[in-house]
Amino acid sequence: MEPGETRSGLSQLRRGTVEYCVLALLRDGERYGFELVRELSESAGLVTSEGTIYPLLTRLRKDQLVTTTWRESESGPPRRYYQLTESGHAALASFVKEWARFRDSVDAILNGRKGDAHHGD
Amino acid sequence: MPTMETDRLIDDYLRRLDHAAAHMRPARRTELVAEIREHIEMALRQEQAAGEAAVRNVLDRLGPPEEIVEAAEPASPHSQVRAGKLEIAALIALIVPFMGWLIGTVLVFASGAWSRRDKLIGALLLLLPIVVLGLGFVAAAGPNGSEELVPPGDLRPVGEKEEVPISGPGPLEFVLFVAGLPSALYLGWQLRRDPGPSPTES
Repeated sequence: MEPGETRSGLSQLRRGTVEYCVLALLRDGERYGFELVRELSESAGLVTSEGTIYPLLTRLRKDQLVTTTWRESESGPPRRYYQLTESGHAALASFVKEWARFRDSVDAILNGRKGDAHHGD
Repeated sequence: MPTMETDRLIDDYLRRLDHAAAHMRPARRTELVAEIREHIEMALRQEQAAGEAAVRNVLDRLGPPEEIVEAAEPASPHSQVRAGKLEIAALIALIVPFMGWLIGTVLVFASGAWSRRDKLIGALLLLLPIVVLGLGFVAAAGPNGSEELVPPGDLRPVGEKEEVPISGPGPLEFVLFVAGLPSALYLGWQLRRDPGPSPTES
């Protein structure tokens, strides 16, 4: 990877968006870190590498959008489970709304349908 | 079945990560390395394989350690700034009571060598002893009623009739000089802990 690419527009967009993908994955219940990381990395083009998701999880924790609990597992060492907090739910909800508008506008412009911001699917 | 070769691959990777994270706060740095280590162990356990190819795959998917650190905390311009005269002056000033505290704090905030967080912690570490001292002094100076309003800076005993415990030259002056120490030590330590790349790796 080019040294400059980590700061490119695309990777910034990715970074900003993946946060909310994490929140969305937690919407229906807790998951442990490894599981989250694998799931995200298996969606094509979402993350460049699995390792970069851990710092992101830390940031979400610091911003109190998620909380974590350690639990014993039947196989292997204890696992850290992530749960959505109330403000995490709120942040996700407002992102979902914003994202739909944003995506539609970008799509409309990219496809040359200016002024037609409403998606027809 | 881990072999020496696979252990070495993992160790090398984690060492590179730790090395790349040199500018991070120690607790955060340790946590990051531990998280990645857990991930590697978990991935290998899940794949039921620990051969060299499996390890290489897991590490490839994790991506270069430098990229992980970049995502965590890009090396900020702060950590590039070396301690100069300004920083030394600030630390010395912090130890001098009253005017020194003030000047030191101003210099610390003017400097680019500390992060905002460190500056605030430094200020708190200075403020706390002063407040505690002030309260302690007020309490000691006016235990019974009328003299309670004596300002902490006023060292003169109130009238001759009462023995004021701290009117001697010793403890108060000593304590005043100690008040700036925690802050100066903390900030000094933060400066030292900003090494350039340490020569541990080829």
